[in-house]
Amino acid sequence: MSVIEARDLRRSYRTRTGLWKREKKVVEAVRGVSFAVEQGELFGLLGPNAAGKTTTIKMLITLLLPTSGSASVLGHDVVDDAREVRRHIGYVFGGDRGLYERLNALDNLRYFAELYGVPAREQKQRIGALLELVGLTGREKERTEGFSRGMRQRLHIARGLLHDPEVLFLDEPTIGIDPVGARELRATIGTLKGQGKTILLTTHYMFEADELCDRIAVIRAGELVAEGTPATLKQRVTGGHVMEVETFGMPESAVAAVRSLAGVSTAAVEERGQAQVLLVQVGPGAEVTSAVLGCLGGVNVGRVSSREPTLEDAYVELVSGQ
Amino acid sequence: MLVISWWLHLKMLAVSAFEGVFQVIWPLFFATTAFLVYRQADDPQVMVYAGLGAAVMGIWSVIATTASGVLQRERWLGTLELLVASPTRFALILVPITTAMATLGLYSLGSTLLWGWLLFDISVPVADPFLFVVSVVASILSIALIGFLLSVSVVRYRTAWALGNLLEYPGWLLCGFLVPLTLFPTWAAWISYVLPPTWGMEAIRLSASGDSPWAQVLVCLGLGIVYGAVGALLSETVLRSARRHATLSLT
Amino acid sequence: MSGDITTSLRIFFVGGLISFRALFNWLSPWIYIPSLLIAPIFQILLFAYIGRSAGIESDAFFVIGNAVQYSAIPCLFAMANTIAGERSTQTLGIVLSTPARRIPLFLGRSLPVVVNGFFVSMFSLVVGSLLLGVTIPRSAWLPLALVVAVAAMSCTGLGLTNAALGLRVRETAVLSNVLFGVLLIFCGVNVSLDALPDWMAAVGSWLPLTHAIEAARELAAGDTLGSVAGLIGREVGLGMLYGGVGLAALRWLEIEGRRSATLEVQ
Repeated sequence: MSVIEARDLRRSYRTRTGLWKREKKVVEAVRGVSFAVEQGELFGLLGPNAAGKTTTIKMLITLLLPTSGSASVLGHDVVDDAREVRRHIGYVFGGDRGLYERLNALDNLRYFAELYGVPAREQKQRIGALLELVGLTGREKERTEGFSRGMRQRLHIARGLLHDPEVLFLDEPTIGIDPVGARELRATIGTLKGQGKTILLTTHYMFEADELCDRIAVIRAGELVAEGTPATLKQRVTGGHVMEVETFGMPESAVAAVRSLAGVSTAAVEERGQAQVLLVQVGPGAEVTSAVLGCLGGVNVGRVSSREPTLEDAYVELVSGQ
Repeated sequence: MLVISWWLHLKMLAVSAFEGVFQVIWPLFFATTAFLVYRQADDPQVMVYAGLGAAVMGIWSVIATTASGVLQRERWLGTLELLVASPTRFALILVPITTAMATLGLYSLGSTLLWGWLLFDISVPVADPFLFVVSVVASILSIALIGFLLSVSVVRYRTAWALGNLLEYPGWLLCGFLVPLTLFPTWAAWISYVLPPTWGMEAIRLSASGDSPWAQVLVCLGLGIVYGAVGALLSETVLRSARRHATLSLT
Repeated sequence: MSGDITTSLRIFFVGGLISFRALFNWLSPWIYIPSLLIAPIFQILLFAYIGRSAGIESDAFFVIGNAVQYSAIPCLFAMANTIAGERSTQTLGIVLSTPARRIPLFLGRSLPVVVNGFFVSMFSLVVGSLLLGVTIPRSAWLPLALVVAVAAMSCTGLGLTNAALGLRVRETAVLSNVLFGVLLIFCGVNVSLDALPDWMAAVGSWLPLTHAIEAARELAAGDTLGSVAGLIGREVGLGMLYGGVGLAALRWLEIEGRRSATLEVQ
């Protein structure tokens, strides 16, 4: 039996626009997602903003009911057996909210220790160990309103681990943290995996998924478009290469023209400071350099280079809608 | 400049339905209670007294509760620092804001009179409409200047709104809106006499009954100007100290 | 199973107290003293003087009425803050993803609120009496304290309903203030129910505080606890009624929130 199982999960939202003219719109945030996460696995759910990552997680952690389909965690159904699911999972989301600002770190943890029913005599030792794990020892008496983002995030992780859950849901935990903090956080996640926890992680940082995850599912517009180990996902684009063209002031029409070239599988633009970098994924054996530059006639072009594809390229190909 | 920013702030206040509606309703609860108490005395003259007093209460409330909060709101919006950084004197920025609020109190005045008339059958005879309006305007201006002093003095406190709310009741009590000053011990009456609304209220009552309110109007405005001047002096000092202690952007 | 009960008890007592400290943002002395200790005294003075000026009722009447009624401010605001406040801290989602039983979770938050409301009322009662020279017989203080506690409890019941509403509407402060105003007018605080129009008196008899205020006045006038037992009973009943409605509404909101994603469960 898999630890987390999602079976054709669907979720739609009804939104109303306008106060007077009630126009009802149904937005399908998740459209038939199925996957399974095995014991001790670190599973990544990768996708752009609004792809349905958070909605999927919220269904799995019992905060939202699926519109249809079903899911279970450790064999407990997330709808019928919500309380049992809640006992065994930890939930951590990114961003700097979700703390009681007026309380110090210790009281924040104590409160949730109570809510998870951590026995009083174990609390002290457990909280101490977790503060140690996330590197907040010595800061626990400070009010969290003064905490930096990185500290808040580490406190969130400690909170999610209070009841020693078997399964952890981490929703974009490194969002908005500086590179050093993010690296430390990834190290912590690695430690947790080493302890045998089953973890579901969402992120839109490719290297993060590449570094941490055993398996990755890419979600786009509410649907899974690919699933596999980072290596297999990369293979989807190997055989070809990636051409990078630095441009200044490139019109959208040029991108479209590049996309339609023979031998080009996808093309996308990435902003890097003043420049827009055109990323062209080139099929095996194709030679498109001059054709691509031809499409950019009149556009100011900087450095042109070619490299092996990365997981990010696989991702870009998957989510930029072939 | 003053007029334009008064108008813009009035618009901002009027747009915020929450503040607008609530500012009008809040004093009505107390006016209603006061009417219900005075009604038992069974004297139409007393009801007129209460009706007028309750109507002016609203102007005071708006100032007491919102003038202290206004800088708080600018802080939340992150605009307080922008205001201070602009080349205009801070005092000239604040006065229109508090005047706009006091003007909002006019709604409250009107609605309380209407409320008293509709539900409690209190019709307030106004013997001299012109002098009545003069008295009301003088009261509003002087209350606005107190509001200015208030908002300047509390600019450094994050919990200024609570101090502002605190002033609401004492103002109602001491300015003679609903209780004649003669009932107070002498020392308390002295406090009343240095509060401009006390004089404004008296001017309003006098003009309503046909007597000359000019002396009271002048005292009311004079006191108001004193408060304003103190506020202006204070604003310079407070701002300097806020810059020194970096308390401007605290939310 | 006994572990479950211990957990629920701890959530009720320990958890309730922690979340009260976390979410009731009036605990700073800069807010607490002006709003909860000084303001009620001025409310008492204002109406006592209005009463004197109108020649209606006694100072004791106004001191008791307003002191008991002022507990509505802490009870309504604190209850709304400690529950609806989860929206602004964005902790509601995390709290609801825990297995904690909801009744001790929410009800536990009301216990410190009741204690605080009781304290505010008793403080105003004592200080108000001293300032206005109202003498209450020494033997009446203990039963009075009981009645004040019951009033704070039933008002917190209304506060729970208010808090549940507060999760849906944004302006919880306005809602609490409006309720406070309604209680001020309808509960016989400054005008005895007999002097109110019939329909208003009828509304008042279904609100919390009304019966407690009446009982408190009778106790101060020398009646025994036994003779006001009926009033206390009705007050307790109303408090439980409103509290029950509040808990049911919270339950419903949670279910509804999972179904239609209406609670901002971040």
